[in-house]
Amino acid sequence: MSDNNRTGVLLALPATAYVGLLVAAPLGVLVLYSFWTQTYIDIDRSFTWENYRTAFSDPLVRHLLIRSIWMAGLVTFVTVALAYPIAYFVAFRTRNKTFWLLLITIPFWISYLLRVFAWRVILGFNGLINSTLMSAGLIDEPLDFLLYNEFAVIMTLAHAWAPFAILPIYVSLQRIDRSLLEAASDLGAGRVECFLRVTLPLTIPGIIASSLIIFIPTVGDYVTPALVGGSDGKMVANLIQVYFGAANNWPLGATLSLMSMAAVGMVAVAFVVLLRSAGKAIR
Amino acid sequence: MTRLSRLMPGLRAYVLLYLVFLYLPVLLIPLFSFNDGTVVAFPITGLTLQWYGQLASEDALLRSLRNSFIVAGATAVFSTMLGLFAARAYVRNRFRGQRWSEGLVMLPLVTPVIIVASAMLTLFMLIGLRPSLATVVLGHTFLTLPFAVAILKSAFEEFDPSLEEAAYDLGETVPGTFRRVTLPIVAPGIVASLLVTFTVSFDEFVLAFFLSGDRPTLPVYIWSQIRFPARLPNTLALGSLLLGFSVLLLILAEYFRRKTRRIAADAKR
Amino acid sequence: MTGRSMIELIGIEKRYHSFQALADLNLTLQEGEFFSLLGPSGCGKTTALRIIAGFLEPTAGIVRIAGQDMQGVPANRRPTNMVFQSYAIFPHLNVGDNVGFGLSRSGLSRRQRKARIEEALAMVALEGFEDRHADALSGGQRQRVALARALVMQPKVLLLDEPLSALDKKLRESMQFELRRLQQSVGINFVMVTHDQYEAMTMSDRIGVMFDGRLAQVDTPTQLYAFPANRKVAAFIGGMNFLPAQLVGEPAGRLEVMVAGLGGLDIARNQGVARHDRELVVGLRPEQLHISRDEPAGFDARAQGTVTDAAFYGETVHYHVEIAGVPEPVVVSVPNHFHTVDFKRGDRVWIAAQGASVIDLGARTDN
Repeated sequence: MSDNNRTGVLLALPATAYVGLLVAAPLGVLVLYSFWTQTYIDIDRSFTWENYRTAFSDPLVRHLLIRSIWMAGLVTFVTVALAYPIAYFVAFRTRNKTFWLLLITIPFWISYLLRVFAWRVILGFNGLINSTLMSAGLIDEPLDFLLYNEFAVIMTLAHAWAPFAILPIYVSLQRIDRSLLEAASDLGAGRVECFLRVTLPLTIPGIIASSLIIFIPTVGDYVTPALVGGSDGKMVANLIQVYFGAANNWPLGATLSLMSMAAVGMVAVAFVVLLRSAGKAIR
Repeated sequence: MTRLSRLMPGLRAYVLLYLVFLYLPVLLIPLFSFNDGTVVAFPITGLTLQWYGQLASEDALLRSLRNSFIVAGATAVFSTMLGLFAARAYVRNRFRGQRWSEGLVMLPLVTPVIIVASAMLTLFMLIGLRPSLATVVLGHTFLTLPFAVAILKSAFEEFDPSLEEAAYDLGETVPGTFRRVTLPIVAPGIVASLLVTFTVSFDEFVLAFFLSGDRPTLPVYIWSQIRFPARLPNTLALGSLLLGFSVLLLILAEYFRRKTRRIAADAKR
Repeated sequence: MTGRSMIELIGIEKRYHSFQALADLNLTLQEGEFFSLLGPSGCGKTTALRIIAGFLEPTAGIVRIAGQDMQGVPANRRPTNMVFQSYAIFPHLNVGDNVGFGLSRSGLSRRQRKARIEEALAMVALEGFEDRHADALSGGQRQRVALARALVMQPKVLLLDEPLSALDKKLRESMQFELRRLQQSVGINFVMVTHDQYEAMTMSDRIGVMFDGRLAQVDTPTQLYAFPANRKVAAFIGGMNFLPAQLVGEPAGRLEVMVAGLGGLDIARNQGVARHDRELVVGLRPEQLHISRDEPAGFDARAQGTVTDAAFYGETVHYHVEIAGVPEPVVVSVPNHFHTVDFKRGDRVWIAAQGASVIDLGARTDN
């Protein structure tokens, strides 16, 4: 017990090794595959850059990759922007916080697939919105721009990720020493200035955390685009799935996975740097 | 507080709207599970309980439900066990490579599942591991480990390290200290971790879709049914039942988490 | 005290990377001593205690307990037991199970264990508390349970880590006497870590004062108060006025000094301090100074000054007196005896001292 270092290493080893192995080995295999080629049902294991050449020159790949990142960025922005006031409300304007946190998280304990499906019911041709508007006599025929497009994907994901946006921001708001706000207003700051110069900068870590937790998985989201995205809502994950499934071209699928990961990583790092410096600029 | 909220009437209205946004889709599912017609669209034609009644005879659904219970159960046990040791080390010990290790263990939380899924499938095929429930458990343990570690870390953070030292000082061995002091005190945290990892695994789709082979889990089964509207009402009925079940689990998890905190607070006093 | 050494620390050192937590710690405790390690937070006193307990391995040096080298002996096999600062009462066990926790590996029968638990609880005046749950205890009761839990193991040495810091002031004062009484009745060594000088002084046979990982002085409370080994110790224990002085002569075992403001005095030589030249510092305890409106008679030295501040403490009053030739105002503390003294700011007063109460603190530049 006195040998703190050794005990720590020993206890953390199983989990670290497990995650490490399941990160390193599959990635290694992906890298291998990305240099191989598919010949019908066999894999040609001779080294080639062919997959990368194909992926980079294929306009569809480029299009989907850029759109996935664009969409993920949009989803992240919309989700965080919609969620921030809620986190603020729970942190500063409620007494029974546990009740509110439960209220916010309960919807997410129903099957994710069914939730996405429910959005189809809401936005669909005969869906909730259209039938409501029609029976109210506001429109004569159903609106068809609600479903199977980017808007539907953003709505659905803003809903799906809501707790992941609210909770980290709530935590960082909750950590703010209330006397800081009193000090700011004592020093003559108005409510808006208080928020912009004290509250908002102090919640930047929470915003970064929730943005990353939303942005990164969203780039690789598969279910939502497939169910509500229609043909122009599709993202790169759908293409990856096609290569691993119906098209049966694993090497190209692997190449795409690696490329998306690299792209996600770069955008995420750029985002963190940008937001941190933005946080400093406000002050 | 009241003065400020009067200054901000917009915020309250917005919160109300947001809650509608959160609950609307979720409430539609139980609603349509009672709908007479098989088409899930408005208007609702009539009320019925037949979809719930049919659940018992849907073999494929029940099989997938069973698969999901197996996978989620095994996943919960594995990731909680791995998480327990790791969390203990992260909170109580200072060791070389600690930051590196903590970062790595949290990595699955911010990795696109599609990449994890495709990479694992590729690996398992290459080393000759056929897709099965076991491969799903391997993948889900990976995905749920961050949740287990986070929950158990807070359980350890909330209890006084002197308690373990006291036991050791009173002549107890290291394993004995773990059994007689550490385990009983973090037990509520362990239960909370089991519940959360179980639920996350139970609801996970993409990895299971890639790795489950010919034994679908419940989300994989639901996915196949969403394409066949005739079967859908059954799925909705099941989803509603599971919602009730999940809320129950959530409340239990919260109860145990609070219990840990209370015990820990007592210990500090 | 029988004179047999119970704990020996020889050349103990503890380093964390570049940080030196303990440097060259040498200490021998006699059997049956109540010993305190006193110092500000971060001075290494807790590290020293944890090295004795076996929770930390020293980087270098030898720990002997009852003559046995403790190297490689883990905490669970040392003849020491600890009362933790937080008391570390097991929250999932009742009082009886807490106290009996360490007996489960002792090979005693259930009956014998029960008797030992009862005996230990009686020792701390908690008879009949066996079934009380841990969260139904007050702070003082928790401390008693922690004491009973450690004493039931019949250790050779009881280690106490800031045992009174979690209690409120009134309870703390009564526990000081109780701990002292308990130590005398069980007759074993108590080693206590504290940052509170009064706690250390009232309870201990000897005190080790620590600064920055080093033992500055080990002595009885009265010696420590009368002959601090340097200015840091002098300032840490009790109040102290530091006055510059010049060495005039050194008659046998004594010093003749000229103290700024006060004049010539004959004072006792302090063996513990160093002198390289004639420039010295002397210390005057605030309560050893006399203050009066009229020039007093019968004192070895006196000076006239002006009151710059008066602070009322209840049992005492502190005056700050500015004296020509003395750099800092001199603090004088007077017992509030029948409210006989009452000076205001700006009053002209006399202060006076006896040579016997002036403390030689050695070279001015040394510390």
